Amino acid sequence: MANIASQRIKREFKEVIRSEEVARCSIKVELLDDNYSQLKGEIAGPPDTPYEGGKFLLEIKVPETYPFNPPKVKFLTKVWHPNISSVTGAICLDILKDQWAAAMTLRTVLLSLQALMASPEPDDPQDAVVARQYKGFPEIFISTAEHWTNIYAGGSRKKEEYSKKIERLMGIGCNMDQALVALSGCNWDLDKAIEQIFG
Amino acid sequence: MMAECTINDNIDESDSDYSDEDFETYYHPMEYGDSEENHNPVDAEDPELFPVECLTMEQVEMFLNEAVNSVCHILNINMSLAKLFLLFNNWDVEKIISGYKLDITSFLISSRVLPTLQSQQQSANIDDNDCQCEQQQPGSGNIINDNVFICPVCTCSSLKSLGLCLECQHTFCTECWTTYVEVKISEGQSTEITCMAQNCNLLLQEVIALKLPISSYLKLQYQHFAFHNYVISHPLLRFCVGPNCNVIFKAKQSLAKRIVCPQCKSVFCFKCGDSYHAPTDCATIKNWLTKCADDSETANYFSAHTKDCPNCNICIEKNGGCNHMQCYKCRHDFCWMCLGDWKGHGSEYYECSRYKENSETANESAKARAALRKYLHYYERWQNHAKSLKLEEKTLEKIKDRINQKVMNGSGTWIDWQYLLDAAALLAKCRYTLQYTYPYAYYMNNESKNLFEYQQAQLEAEIENLSWKVERAETTDRGDLENQMYIAEKRRKTLLKDFFQT
Ligand SMILES: [Zn+2]
Ligand SMILES: [Zn+2]
Ligand SMILES: [Zn+2]
Ligand SMILES: [Zn+2]
Ligand SMILES: [Zn+2]
Ligand SMILES: [Zn+2]
Repeated sequence: MANIASQRIKREFKEVIRSEEVARCSIKVELLDDNYSQLKGEIAGPPDTPYEGGKFLLEIKVPETYPFNPPKVKFLTKVWHPNISSVTGAICLDILKDQWAAAMTLRTVLLSLQALMASPEPDDPQDAVVARQYKGFPEIFISTAEHWTNIYAGGSRKKEEYSKKIERLMGIGCNMDQALVALSGCNWDLDKAIEQIFG
Repeated sequence: MMAECTINDNIDESDSDYSDEDFETYYHPMEYGDSEENHNPVDAEDPELFPVECLTMEQVEMFLNEAVNSVCHILNINMSLAKLFLLFNNWDVEKIISGYKLDITSFLISSRVLPTLQSQQQSANIDDNDCQCEQQQPGSGNIINDNVFICPVCTCSSLKSLGLCLECQHTFCTECWTTYVEVKISEGQSTEITCMAQNCNLLLQEVIALKLPISSYLKLQYQHFAFHNYVISHPLLRFCVGPNCNVIFKAKQSLAKRIVCPQCKSVFCFKCGDSYHAPTDCATIKNWLTKCADDSETANYFSAHTKDCPNCNICIEKNGGCNHMQCYKCRHDFCWMCLGDWKGHGSEYYECSRYKENSETANESAKARAALRKYLHYYERWQNHAKSLKLEEKTLEKIKDRINQKVMNGSGTWIDWQYLLDAAALLAKCRYTLQYTYPYAYYMNNESKNLFEYQQAQLEAEIENLSWKVERAETTDRGDLENQMYIAEKRRKTLLKDFFQT
């Protein structure tokens, strides 16, 4: 790993550890290897959003050319959000692409991701299915995102109706992830979801 | 016949009308003997006439330097700054001079040389509240004492005298600037490299970038990429679109005219660099092609290769470019596009190429269906002529083979049969324009639409006549064929003169 890169990450690592956000349990980073090229991040779902109460894990890969190029970040925890792929966890955020500046840090990235969770940008979507629901059926979007937060990130809000529909699909041979993705994508229309999986 | 003589006389005079371009510009390059390129009188009325110069890189550099030098001289600024102004103002020297003289500060702000007043204030605030608790935070370039600062990128402290900042005062150490610029150049960037601070979009000028201790290879790369940016930002210059072709074209005006590269034979529009698209303009053809790509699935069904004979219902495959079909079984003559009887089609061709707007658009779904029907009407014709162009390319190959045989059998020389190749080349040129009249008509929405579609139908009819005759060239009288060439090209030019506004 290039000299500047590891030097910077070491420094930033300490910065995050000491930051007041960590004190509030809002963000966290962990080292995964000795040469500082792989880290695990964690952000708390922002309050007053469907993600409230959830803990979201992030994979952070630091390129050789860091900090002149942005870190590669994706969600490890599954999340229902217009700018995050519900399947791969890939993120659509300008500062992780062409709006990155060398003076930005891991802390800026984590805080920006939290801000993104609080205010999605459906016109620049990563997941078109989610974005369509966000714009067309905002109430279904909120309860779906809450349900996902409950299942994958430990949030407390969920809908019994949704759980039952998932069980129905699991009863006919689907696994949970598959059932959840299909139902969420079909606005919880059971027949459509069945058709999508088996059709 | 008197009439025929007159027309033939015309052909002799205005020979250049259709032979000024050989068909290499429409088909793939192939050699077929000398074209008559060298003795063309210039037709000043030609709607497609567009004089361009082919320049080498050195010549382009000289041309660009003229503008750079005049900006430097008049505003008394350095070359690097002049280049930056030109790059972001379409090389419009007058606009730069008047903008600069009107209000230097706001001109420098909009050229991304000075920070916006907003961010000037912000950085002033940071300096004011520079308290020790925010120490060593990357992003703010903290100053420990008067001589030393901490570079926010590498987080090392170094002497202030070794730091480097743009007008925004975001200071970073030279080492970081150097690595940063090296990384960006190897990603293909040059004039677009900005300051490293968050939310700062000030541009790193060429003169500063090239003073950094980067390798001479990367310096060359920088200049190469910068040159590329200068050329693409210049409205009067255009790189040839051909792969690995180094020709740069220079025109007097930025117009949507046809360029034919003398080196690689690529044909394209000067203004947008896409395939030539007269009479349609650059923005319209872009919309059309996007639409075609988006709607390709629905439209595919309609571009089938076969249709049933309207007389005996036998399945006929279209294997030539001509839309005048003759059923191989019952000999019925009909039109491929509208399946109407070909007899009398000459005068009624207007009805065939014109899309009839339907007034029964009561509810939304009927509207959607009508919109699709309208689109498919134009798309089908657009596709069909594209396909005809391809098929006529094969006809040309056949003609060449047959001429070869004739020449070997001692019946005439290549020069004697040249007119057949000229006819095929002209057919391609006319059909190409005809193809591009369909997107034009699709987006057309004014009173002149009737006139346009009338002229389009006339052109279409004459092209089909020409195609019919070219496919049967040996049994067609030479004078007859040349008449048809003259008429078709005349129709094409008339349509372009009336509707090709660039
Ligand atoms: Zn530095
Ligand atoms: Zn700056
Ligand atoms: Zn070329
Ligand atoms: Zn164009
Ligand atoms: Zn028939
Ligand atoms: Zn017809």
